[in-house]
Amino acid sequence: MSDIDKSFDDSGSRRVIFRRASARFPSGKISVIVGKSGVGKSSLLNLISGIDLPDKGTIQVGDHCISFMNDTARTLFRRRHIGFIYQFFNLIPVLTVLENVTLIAELDKVPQKTCRRRAESLLEQAGLYDRRHDFPETLSGGEQQRVAIVRALVNDPDLVLADEPTGNLDQETGAKIMEMITGLARKKNKTLVMVTHSPDAAAWADQIFSVGSATLAPMDSHPHG
Amino acid sequence: MGNYLLILVCLRHSRRHLGRTLLLIFGIAMGVAGVVAIDIAKTSVEKSFDLSTQALVSRSTHQITGTGLEIPQQVFTDIRTDLGIHRSAPVISRHVKVSQLGDRILTLMGVDPFSETHFRNLHISPGEQVLSGIMTGSNGVFISRSHARQYNLDIGSPLDIFLGSRRTPVTIAGFLDSENSAAGRMLEGLVVTDISLAQEILDMGDTITRIDLILDADDPAEKIRDLVGNGLFLVETDQQNLAVRGLSQSFETSLTAFSMLALFMGIFLIYNTVSFSVTRRHRLHGILRAIGATRSNIFFTVMAEVMVYAVIGSVFGVLLGILLGNGAVQAVVATVSEMYFTLTVSQTHISGFTIAKGLLAGILAAFVSGFFPALSAAGTRPVSLMHRTVSEKKFNRVVPGLFICGLLILAAASLLMRTASTHAGSDFTGLFMIFFGAALMTPLLIRFLVRILLAAGMGSLGMMVKMALRNITRSLRQTSVLMASLMVVTSVYIGIEVMTGSFRLSIIQWVDDHIGGDIHMESADPLARSLDQDLVNRIRHLPRVTSLSAYNIHPVFSRASGKVHLFSYQSDQSVKRWSWTAAPKEELDALLEEGWIFVSEIFARQHNVMPRQGAAAVLETGKGPVTFQVAGIFRDFFMGGGRVVVSPETMARFWGHGDITALQLFLASGTPAEPVMDTIRQMLDPEDMIEIRSGNAIKKSILAVFDNTFIITSALQVLTAIVALTGILNAVTALLLERTREIGILRACGTLTGQVRQLLLHECFFYGLISGILAIPLGTALSWVLIHIINQRAFGWTYDMVLTPGVFFQAIALSSAAALAAGIFPSLAAGRTHIPTALHME
Repeated sequence: MSDIDKSFDDSGSRRVIFRRASARFPSGKISVIVGKSGVGKSSLLNLISGIDLPDKGTIQVGDHCISFMNDTARTLFRRRHIGFIYQFFNLIPVLTVLENVTLIAELDKVPQKTCRRRAESLLEQAGLYDRRHDFPETLSGGEQQRVAIVRALVNDPDLVLADEPTGNLDQETGAKIMEMITGLARKKNKTLVMVTHSPDAAAWADQIFSVGSATLAPMDSHPHG
Repeated sequence: MGNYLLILVCLRHSRRHLGRTLLLIFGIAMGVAGVVAIDIAKTSVEKSFDLSTQALVSRSTHQITGTGLEIPQQVFTDIRTDLGIHRSAPVISRHVKVSQLGDRILTLMGVDPFSETHFRNLHISPGEQVLSGIMTGSNGVFISRSHARQYNLDIGSPLDIFLGSRRTPVTIAGFLDSENSAAGRMLEGLVVTDISLAQEILDMGDTITRIDLILDADDPAEKIRDLVGNGLFLVETDQQNLAVRGLSQSFETSLTAFSMLALFMGIFLIYNTVSFSVTRRHRLHGILRAIGATRSNIFFTVMAEVMVYAVIGSVFGVLLGILLGNGAVQAVVATVSEMYFTLTVSQTHISGFTIAKGLLAGILAAFVSGFFPALSAAGTRPVSLMHRTVSEKKFNRVVPGLFICGLLILAAASLLMRTASTHAGSDFTGLFMIFFGAALMTPLLIRFLVRILLAAGMGSLGMMVKMALRNITRSLRQTSVLMASLMVVTSVYIGIEVMTGSFRLSIIQWVDDHIGGDIHMESADPLARSLDQDLVNRIRHLPRVTSLSAYNIHPVFSRASGKVHLFSYQSDQSVKRWSWTAAPKEELDALLEEGWIFVSEIFARQHNVMPRQGAAAVLETGKGPVTFQVAGIFRDFFMGGGRVVVSPETMARFWGHGDITALQLFLASGTPAEPVMDTIRQMLDPEDMIEIRSGNAIKKSILAVFDNTFIITSALQVLTAIVALTGILNAVTALLLERTREIGILRACGTLTGQVRQLLLHECFFYGLISGILAIPLGTALSWVLIHIINQRAFGWTYDMVLTPGVFFQAIALSSAAALAAGIFPSLAAGRTHIPTALHME
C-alpha cells in the first residue's frame, strides 16, 4: 500500500487515521500491526481487504490493485484471495461448523464435493472434524476461533487478515490459536497480516508495524530480528 | 431515577427510528379509523331511519293498517263519526322515484290537510297559506326547500313521479320548510300531496295506506279493534318501528365485528413494533438498570412512550375514520335499503360518543399490546447485557405451553360460538379468541413447518435458503409475532373469499332453482300487476316453450317485520332446498294443498319459527290473524325479507288474490331467448307495461345487488390488509435490521450485495409462505364461522361452504408476495450495509 490517506467524519469533524501511509507486507511472511486502541488498526485491515476504500493512495494485493475496483469486484477478490479472522469469531449462528466453513466456497459455485472435502480436511487438522455438524453456539470460544481460522483458509487465499484473533480468549487458548494460525500460514506459505495487542502474538511476527499519529511505520526490532 | 428523563431517552431513541415510529402511529390510526368509520355508518343508519320515519309517523301513538298494506277510506270516516276520535288522520305513503330529483327513492305521502294539525308540523311556503288552499283541486306537490334548491327547482316546476314504469306528471306547488336543519333533512325524503292526488297517482281508488291515531287512556281501543275487525289491524307505532328497525341490527353488529378485526390487526401491529423496539433497546435498558433504574421505571417508560403514540395515532385515526365514514355510510345505507327497509334520507351522523369510542379503542388496544413487551423490558437484568439469546432461549422453553394454551382457547371459542345465544357480542369475542388462540399456536407450528421444509429438501436449494429458514426459528420470539399477524390477515382473506365465493355459488344455484328459466316476465306497473290469463295461456303454447312457472306475489302486513311476501304458484318449476321439513319431501305439495305453508329461512328467523314438528306461524289475513302449520323451511335469498309460499286456494281464501303476476319460461334446449322474447313482445298491447328479461340478465342483476351487500365487507377487508401490511413492513424492517451484523460478516467474507439481498428476500418469502400455509386451516375455520354463524345471524341466510384449492393458492401467493414486498426496501438497504460499522454492531 502506498501513500494512503484515510479519514472519518467524527461528529462533524474529520478524524485522520492515515496520512500518506505506505507499507509492504511481503509474501509468505507474517506481519503484525500494533498500536493503541482507536488509532486505526482494524481500519487498516478493512483497507487492505477492500472492505473500505482509502481517500487517496493505492492498495495492491499481488498483481491486483484493489483501490480501483468496484464493490462487486472487490467483494469477489476478497472472496477468492483473502481470508479474514475476527476477534469475535463472527460465525454465522444458523449454520453448522461445516456449513460455516463451506459457505463462501459454495457462494463461489465451487462444486459441493470439492469444498466439502477441503473443509473436512482443514477441520481435521484443526481438531474439529467431530464437531462439524454442531452449531457455533455449542462450541467454546477457542473452538469457534479455530472454525473461523479454517473458514479463512478454506479458499486457499493468498492473504490472511486477522483482527485481534486472541483478543476474546484466555491466555492459554490464545497461545494455541496463535500457534495454529501462524503454523498454518507458514505451512501453506500464506501472507498473514495480524492486528494485535498481545505481546505474545507479536513474538510470532516476521515484521512488526506500528500504527499511530496517522502513520504506519515498521518497528526497528522484533523477536525474529 | 426521574421517569421524565427516561421517557426522554426513549422518545429520542424513537426519533432516531422515525420511519418505524410513524408506521406504528399509522397502524394505530388505521385500526381506530375502521372502528370510527363503522360506528359512524351504524349511528347514521339509526339517524337516517329516524329521519325517514319521523316525518311519516310523527306524534301518532297507534296506526290502523290492512293486511294488503292498504285499507278502505271509509274506515277513517267510521273512526271519526262512530267513535268520535278526532285525533286521527288518513295517510297514504308509498315509495316512488322522481326523475328531476336525481332518481332517488322518496316517500310519496298523501295527507288530509284538515286532519294533519295533530300529527305533523308541515310548514309550507309561500306565505301563510294553509296546506289545503294550495293542494286541493290541483296536481301540486310539496318537496323540501333544500332539496328543490339542490336540483334548481322552483314553484311551478314539473316533476315526473315514477311508480315502477308508471309515470305521473305533477308540479311543485310549494316547499316544505323546517325550523331547524335536522327537521330539514327529515323532509328531504318526502313528496307531500293531498290524499286525493296521491290516490290518483297511485291508482288507489278509495283506499289509503293507514290511519294515524293519537290515543290516550280514555280512548276506546277495544272498540277500535272491534271496528277494524277482519283484515285490519291496530298496531302501536313505536313497537312497529322498533320491529322494523330491529331487522338490520344483526347486520350492523356484524360490521362492528369486522371493524374490530381491523383493530385486532392494529393490536398485533403495536405489539410487533413495541416488542421489536424493546428488543432493540435491550442494551439501553440493561445500562439503565445497571445505573439504578428500577423495573417499574423501565415498565412505566415503555408504557408511557406507547401511550404517547397511541394518543397521536388515535387522534389521527378518528380524523381518518370521519373521512372514511362518509363512504361507509353510503354503502351501509344502500345495503340496509336493499335488504331490510327503505331509507329515504341518508344522514351522516358523527356523535361525540363515536369519537370517544374510537379514542378509547386505540388507547386500550395500545395499552393491551404494549403491556407484555413493557413487562419483558422491565425484566431486563443488568447482567444480561449483550445476551439477546437469553430471551430467545426463555421463549423457546414456553413454546409448547403456548401451543397448548392456544388449543384450549380455540376449544373455548368453539364452545362459546356454538352454545352462545344470538347475542352479537359473543361473535366478536369468539372471533377474537380464535385469532388469539391460533396466534399462540404459531411458534410451535412454525418450528414444525421449518423442519418439514428443511427435511423436504429446501435446504439443498443452497446455503442462502438454508440460512433463511434457520433464521426464522433462531429469532422465533420475533418472527412468530410477525408471522402470526401475516397468518391472521391471510386467514381473513381466505375467510372472506370463501364466504363471498360460497355465497355467490349459492345465489347462482338459488337463482337457477327459483328464478331460473330462460325468460322472466312480470308487470312493470305496480298498480296493475296481474298478467292477463289469456296471454299466459298463449305464451304457454308458444313453440320452443317447454314449461313455465306462473305465480303471484303479494306483500302483506306483518307485525314482526312490517311486511312479508306471499307467493302462490299456479304452476311451479322451482326447486327448493329445504333447511327442514315436517314430512318427507314428496308429501310437501299435498300438505300445501291442505293449507299448510312453506316459509323462507328469513321469515322463520324473523317470526321465531323453530324447525321442529308442530311449527306454526301466525299470518295477518283478510280474515284476521290465522295460525298456519309450517310444512317446511326453505333456503332463500329473496330481496325484501321473509317469504311465505301458500297454495293458490289459500291465497284466494285468506287474501283474495287469484291472479298471476309473473312468469318464468323454460325453452327447449339450445333455443336462444331473444327471438322468443321478440315474439312475446309482439303479442303485447302497446300500453301493456310488462317487463321481459332474459334469465341471464336477471341473474346478473341479482348478483350485482348481492355483490353490493359485500362492498362494506370488502372495504373492511382492504382496511384490515393495510393495517396488517403496515405491521408487516414495520416488523420486517426491524427484523432485518437485527441481521445487520450478520450481513456485515457475510459481506466481509465475500458475499456479494445481490447475494445478501437474496438471503433477506428468501427469508421474507418464507415468512409469507409459512404464514400462508398456517392461514389455510385458520381461514377455513374463519369462513365456517362467517358463513354458519355471523352471516346467518346478520342476514338469516344459510348456504354451503365451498372450498376451492384456488383460494388457498391465491392466499399463499398473496401472503408470500406481501412479505416479499415488505422485504424489498430493507433488503435494498441491507445491500448497502457499511461493513466496518456492521461488524462492530452488537
